[in-house]
Amino acid sequence: MWIWLATLSTAATAEADRDAVAGMVDGNTEGLTSLYDRHGRLVYSLALRIVRDAGDAEDVTQEVFVQAWRQAERFDTSRGSVAAWLLTVARARAIDLLRRRRVRPQLADAPANAESSDEAPRQDVRLEWAERAGAVRTALESLPLVQRLTIELAFFEGLTHNEIAEQLEIPLGTVKTRVRQGLLRLRDLLAGAAS
Amino acid sequence: MTLEHDELQADCGLYVLGALAVDERRRFEAHLPTCDECTTTVAQLRPVADALPYAVPFVEPSPGLRGRIIDAASRARSPRSVAAPIPFERHDRSRPTRSVASLVGFLAAAAMLVVAVGLGVRASNLQNQLRDTEARLTDTRNRLDDAEQRLGASQRETTTIRRTLALVTSADTVELRLAGQAPAPQASARAFLSRARGVLFVGTNLPQTPPGRTYQVWYLTRGAPVSAGLLTADAQGNGTATFDAANIPTFAGMAVSLEPDGGVPAPTGAIYLATQ
Repeated sequence: MWIWLATLSTAATAEADRDAVAGMVDGNTEGLTSLYDRHGRLVYSLALRIVRDAGDAEDVTQEVFVQAWRQAERFDTSRGSVAAWLLTVARARAIDLLRRRRVRPQLADAPANAESSDEAPRQDVRLEWAERAGAVRTALESLPLVQRLTIELAFFEGLTHNEIAEQLEIPLGTVKTRVRQGLLRLRDLLAGAAS
Repeated sequence: MTLEHDELQADCGLYVLGALAVDERRRFEAHLPTCDECTTTVAQLRPVADALPYAVPFVEPSPGLRGRIIDAASRARSPRSVAAPIPFERHDRSRPTRSVASLVGFLAAAAMLVVAVGLGVRASNLQNQLRDTEARLTDTRNRLDDAEQRLGASQRETTTIRRTLALVTSADTVELRLAGQAPAPQASARAFLSRARGVLFVGTNLPQTPPGRTYQVWYLTRGAPVSAGLLTADAQGNGTATFDAANIPTFAGMAVSLEPDGGVPAPTGAIYLATQ
């Protein structure tokens, strides 16, 4: 069922993450390296997708893991997955950077440097990602284009709904409807993929 | 359901995507604990938002990043040594001490920001200057074109005056006077003829030509009249024309008739001017 989505990590990964966080609380950098080995590539990929600059994406990734290190003690593993937390922080930081960059004039768009690689640091992590990534990409691609575009502008470009309405030249209410319907549809599609 | 709920229910999707403006997010978060339906919807949509990062293309960071993170974490204070909870903020300003390294880093970053802002302002100024220069260049080009056209016109006018002067003052020049005929008794003309330099023909008080008609100047010979050329009168009835010397036949006089546009080989219309 779609409960699968709520965790987004297998039981084994979730347990390894909890151990890593416990190690980090004890000041053990091995906990941090194991966390980075499992999630560093995904955090970096998300940051790169948003900021579109390899150097900036690495800065964001570093900030995310250093913040995780500093705040390990406060992290409540019973409330959510470590991966979801890392990705939430990564997205927030990347979008902060994107918005700051938008304020000043751009001479040219930075190249995306989206040289995709299928190699993962660890085989088990790679298989887990591949499964999830395949399901999410398929679901996203099967959405009506207008719903997908609206969700992507909000999530990956960090636009507010006012900015989306302006960019797509549609009313605010339509933006809200498209996002909500698109997410509900995604939920159904992912539930179908997981069952 | 309240009016507020109806309004905020639509915001659930934007909320989980983080796409609400700050004031709207605060309003939504204030509503959330009071509304089971919105809480349920958010709980349903949150995992979908959490899944979205997995849709991005996976890219490998540089191999050195792992080491840099470990170094940065090692420099940071270990979690155990922190007595108070660390604020969930990007820049932790509550830390009691700041290492020299981080201070240097901060100052370097601040200096780079100043330089970057300076460069940005400089770039903006340069762009404005470039736009001004381009505008001035376009204006200069237009004025140059205009000046060239006027110069060309002046040169043509000067050439005409010189030729006219040379023709009128030539030793072999003879002057003929033409008088207005029945259709235009007020009209008159003078012709300056030089077999060396050509003919200058000046008509005055000529009636406006009807559409499709033009004045044609003739040499009156012993045989059939020979065309000298066409004459156009302006709005005041004045017209000037020059004809080549090579075409001047042996003639007994001159005349002007009204003919179809483009002229004809032999006169067909009324005579307006003729030598006396």
